[in-house]
Amino acid sequence: MSTEARKLRVLLVTPDFPPEKGGIQILLGRIVENAPGLDVRVLALGYEGDAEFDRDLGAEVRRVANSAMSRPLAVLGLNARSLAEAARFRPDAILSGHVVASIGALAVRRALRIPLVQYVHADEFRVRAGLTGRVVRAADTTIAVSRYTREMTLAAGAAAERIRVILPGVDLPDAFRIERGSPPTLLTVATMLFRYKGHDTMARAMPLIRAKVPGARWVVVGDGPFRPAVESAVTAYRIGDAVNLLGRVSDEERNRWLDRANVFCMPSRVPAAGVGGEGFGSAYQEAGARGMPAIGGNVAGARDAVANGETGLLVNPADHLAVAGAAVELLADPKRAEEMGAAARRRAEGNSWPKVAARVEEVLREAAGRRKAA
Amino acid sequence: MCGICGRTDDPAGRAVAAMNAAMIHRGPDDEGVHTDRDHGLSIGARRLSVIDVAGGHQPLANEDGTIWATLNGEIYNHPRLQQMLRERGHRLATGTDTEVLVHLYEEYGAEMVHALEGMFSFAIWDSREAELLLARDRFGEKPLFYSAGGGQLAFASELTALVAGAAVGDELDPLAVDDYFVYGYLPGERSILTGAQQLPPGHLLGWRPGREPELRSYWQPPVPVAAGGESTGDLVRELRRLLEDSVRSRLIADVPLGVFLSGGVDSTLIAALAAAESSAPIKTFTVGYDVGEVSEAEQARITAAEIGSEHHELTLPLAEVAARVPQVLSALDQPLADQSLLAFHAIAEFARDDVTVAVGGEGADELFGGYPRYRWLARAESLGRGLPRPLAAAGARALERALPEGRTARLADVIEPRDSIERQLDWVAGERLGVRAQLYGPRLRGFRPPAALAAELAASAPGVESTAGRFMLLDQRHWLPGDVLAKADRAGMLVSLEVRTPYLDYRLAEFAATVAPALHTGGKGKALLRRLLDELLPETSLRRPKTAFRVPVADWLRGPLAASMRDQVESGCACDEGWIDRAAASALLEEHVRGERDRSEALWPLLAFGLWLDRFRGRDVD
Repeated sequence: MSTEARKLRVLLVTPDFPPEKGGIQILLGRIVENAPGLDVRVLALGYEGDAEFDRDLGAEVRRVANSAMSRPLAVLGLNARSLAEAARFRPDAILSGHVVASIGALAVRRALRIPLVQYVHADEFRVRAGLTGRVVRAADTTIAVSRYTREMTLAAGAAAERIRVILPGVDLPDAFRIERGSPPTLLTVATMLFRYKGHDTMARAMPLIRAKVPGARWVVVGDGPFRPAVESAVTAYRIGDAVNLLGRVSDEERNRWLDRANVFCMPSRVPAAGVGGEGFGSAYQEAGARGMPAIGGNVAGARDAVANGETGLLVNPADHLAVAGAAVELLADPKRAEEMGAAARRRAEGNSWPKVAARVEEVLREAAGRRKAA
Repeated sequence: MCGICGRTDDPAGRAVAAMNAAMIHRGPDDEGVHTDRDHGLSIGARRLSVIDVAGGHQPLANEDGTIWATLNGEIYNHPRLQQMLRERGHRLATGTDTEVLVHLYEEYGAEMVHALEGMFSFAIWDSREAELLLARDRFGEKPLFYSAGGGQLAFASELTALVAGAAVGDELDPLAVDDYFVYGYLPGERSILTGAQQLPPGHLLGWRPGREPELRSYWQPPVPVAAGGESTGDLVRELRRLLEDSVRSRLIADVPLGVFLSGGVDSTLIAALAAAESSAPIKTFTVGYDVGEVSEAEQARITAAEIGSEHHELTLPLAEVAARVPQVLSALDQPLADQSLLAFHAIAEFARDDVTVAVGGEGADELFGGYPRYRWLARAESLGRGLPRPLAAAGARALERALPEGRTARLADVIEPRDSIERQLDWVAGERLGVRAQLYGPRLRGFRPPAALAAELAASAPGVESTAGRFMLLDQRHWLPGDVLAKADRAGMLVSLEVRTPYLDYRLAEFAATVAPALHTGGKGKALLRRLLDELLPETSLRRPKTAFRVPVADWLRGPLAASMRDQVESGCACDEGWIDRAAASALLEEHVRGERDRSEALWPLLAFGLWLDRFRGRDVD
């Protein structure tokens, strides 16, 4: 029976997988949930609450013991187990969710003579440049989450014909309650706060924004290593009464803010290394899915996540004057913001998870077919 | 660099003209006064032309003449601001940075200060709203003094201009004199004169007719935190990006510009980046002294060759530097006891022959953890936590007896159990804290005890977890504006040279505050700057470290300055007016001259204060 007619057997190896929070986790989890043409087995690291999540997933998941203290060891274990797991499952293709899983994935590719499809996001080109370069040059196909990531993949030496750009998908709420209005609110959502996300630029812009839009507020959802720096900046700029640093919140609370705030604003920039940073910026699209316009940096993945002048505004992310100008432009013109929000929702509908999963399935089938033909 | 001034009760502009006249040295190229007769207010400026030399007359107005501005300093991002303002429909008549102030004010009101990148103090008069706004840059690079009372306000770049404009009297503030004697500079808001205050760095002052002025902070150096999540390599790359941006923006000038190159990490890094930015060879300036073991000039020469700069080197006989003391110290608008003022003045004067603007390395030590004191005090605190209190106290006493007096004796302090702020105060003030009881005259009776001073200091840097971070922040808010930047401004001012400081870019400061203080202070300190220098000039940073040069003040006070010091004790205003006890000062001086004990830590500030006061009172100090 050909792989065209039956379900394609895919082994997904990834350290990042739900129920752990994060953009990569959601991306891979949703692909598994929304790919009826695939028979996926997942090999991932363990996280708190994973048993319950795995029960409801509809795909078999094997977990490698993990803890925050021993994550590097756990990733080693993940790579080590992938060959045994592949030998049992006999997949048609192996999908590596992150380059740190690629050592094992490459071994599976060699041993079972099946294609390796490697997902790349962005920051691995900065943090693990050597490994990432080797993997994208060796993989049968590399899925880049944006044109920006594709540029980095090309720069790392991958052949252009082996790179596919598939933008991440988004959950499309059936209904959302828009309560936008007073006080005018800017919202930043980032699961992890990093320097490149541009919270420092936002702190600099806030006094200028409030000068033009009195009472404007900035709500920050997310936690991470840069949070103390954000708190310190808020104090330095004397804007404590205009800022809510919420930390990590439930999905429900995040969605409430997505429905209530006026403009999503995250001026992410490219880290000083010149690579990495925002691979795509799913948060922009999540805001768009709930009808909110977005302001992003005119660099990196945000160029694919926000259509400048249509679903939001892209500005120089290092220039707080430009960020303030864009924020004022949208906060002071609710009609325009609403139109952009509606356009963002329409654009998000083109990237529903079933559509994205189908694109990934197509890439996997194409790789499998190519390998078989070879 | 310029001088600005104004009075809200000067309908004929005469007082402001007098204030301008008192600041000619700050701005020798031009002067101007704007008077709003309807409101009885005048503002003025003396100008040293640096940007748009021909078109930059001040004060300067918006399109319809309703908003006026006068600026001391430079707005480095004025090209970007001009572009933004034009896009928003403003019509700009000149290429000056002063003009962007009035249009930005139209856009953002007082919050416009957040759009500015630079060193500045300025005044904006909005005749429509009858509102005067004063602002000072984030770190206090440019000075601004003011006097408020009876519903009126006067301001000036220099204290002496306030006196010339009859805005304040000539009475000294005893608390300020005590501050000066403890620290060697005037920290915080106090000025040396009663009734006049310094606008603190990062502050705005708003005034409306008949009301008391409103003072508020718009920015302060952020509390240092350890943000984490980044490798040292990432941090060095971020530092490089920010420092390159800062140097680039500070190289904009329509007049000749140079770099002060001492041979140390801070200035070498700046010179290397400036050379990389510049299409032509940059000019570098170094002053060396005629003493054998000091290596700064030699190191600077090597660096200059490496970066291909047009290097200018002056070797000064130390005797000549000593001879400058009365002239330099007495010419200040308020006393400053930093000994390195003399060296700074010498290099500024030397550079002024070739350039109008010079770039220096000020602020690097405070932002990037350069002073060894940070490491010592952090170690002391952790050691103190580890030892039982009685044991630590006994150890400290034993060390104190065993070690020779002076700075070395402070090693004993490392293990003595005490509050870290008191330790810092003791470290900075040295023996001056203790000798106040005998040295102070009747005008200074009732001075504050160390605990009260420590409480004031502690309030300047609250909420910092790390000991090193606490002292770095304290220095950024206290020592940097009060001493380092006052010294750079005044030394430059005395020879009409503008000094720019790339390390004091607010984005760079915000970045530095996100790096763990322990990382900054690790090794020999300034770990990130050293790493970056390693990358830029690997050969240079391998050579031996800079030898800190200290002016031999103790010798001078026994030699070339002994007569000047004696004159102070015998007939100076400081003793005559009862600030200093004549007999005690005399005893201290003689003890020092006889070589029984080094009293220079107390005598030098006394000399600087006395020379300043004599000149202020009109007594001949030369």
